[in-house]
Amino acid sequence: MNLEEIAFAILALVAVATATLSLLVRELVHTILWVAVFFVDLSAIYFLLYAPFLGVLQLGVYAGAVTVLLLFGIMVTRKRIFAREAATGLGPVPLGLVLTVFIFLVAALGELPQGLVAQRSYAPSDLSAYLFGPGGPWLLLLGLVMLTSVSGAIYLVREGRE
Amino acid sequence: MSGLPFAGFLVLSGALLAVGLFGVLTRRNFILLLIAIEIAMNAAILNFVYFAAFARAPSPGLPGQAIAVVLIGFAATEVAVGLAIVLALNRVKGSINVAEASELKL
Repeated sequence: MNLEEIAFAILALVAVATATLSLLVRELVHTILWVAVFFVDLSAIYFLLYAPFLGVLQLGVYAGAVTVLLLFGIMVTRKRIFAREAATGLGPVPLGLVLTVFIFLVAALGELPQGLVAQRSYAPSDLSAYLFGPGGPWLLLLGLVMLTSVSGAIYLVREGRE
Repeated sequence: MSGLPFAGFLVLSGALLAVGLFGVLTRRNFILLLIAIEIAMNAAILNFVYFAAFARAPSPGLPGQAIAVVLIGFAATEVAVGLAIVLALNRVKGSINVAEASELKL
């Protein structure tokens, strides 16, 4: 195993462990902390996959903005932010369903071409040239969706609406 | 370049999707549901990024990364709308437990 493979194995284990922990711990604030670690870990995986711009975007948008937004959501809806959640039963049906989905996905791997290796690195300037050239409609679509969702969010939380 | 394992990334993505699905099925707090959906969405974004990295020589992998950029934006707007729903639910019900928001049930 070379250094990159070892790094990937560690990052993948940390990703799955922190994602699972974030959904299993009972304090909501601890959930946010674990999910922040998960987002930072994913950003490291993007760097490993030769996507430095996406890594930085993941750090800024997810580890920064989304985490703080979720923390605000907890702060404004609870009297004590460290209060514990009620324990929820794990139940055999959700566990069985999740295991089935995972086994199905892993079984589907055999259909894919094998023995591929990561080949190329993209400079952020290439990505921006693509996004402001042939990929322009994607950015326009993102702008439209953001505009409508912000309008929707303001409509949902405005005062005097019952 | 390196010999990063192709199948390893896909197994990681499948595992993250399974964890997100598990959260959606078991948790009743709206914020935890949002986090579970984010984890599943991150699994999908990860797929786009590594199919871009593993693209063969004649096909550029840039569209994959561009779609990943757009999807990260979508996920952020999704959290914003989700938190607006959390605030509205908290005002009307006094709690963000999704089991209590059952007016639309038959």
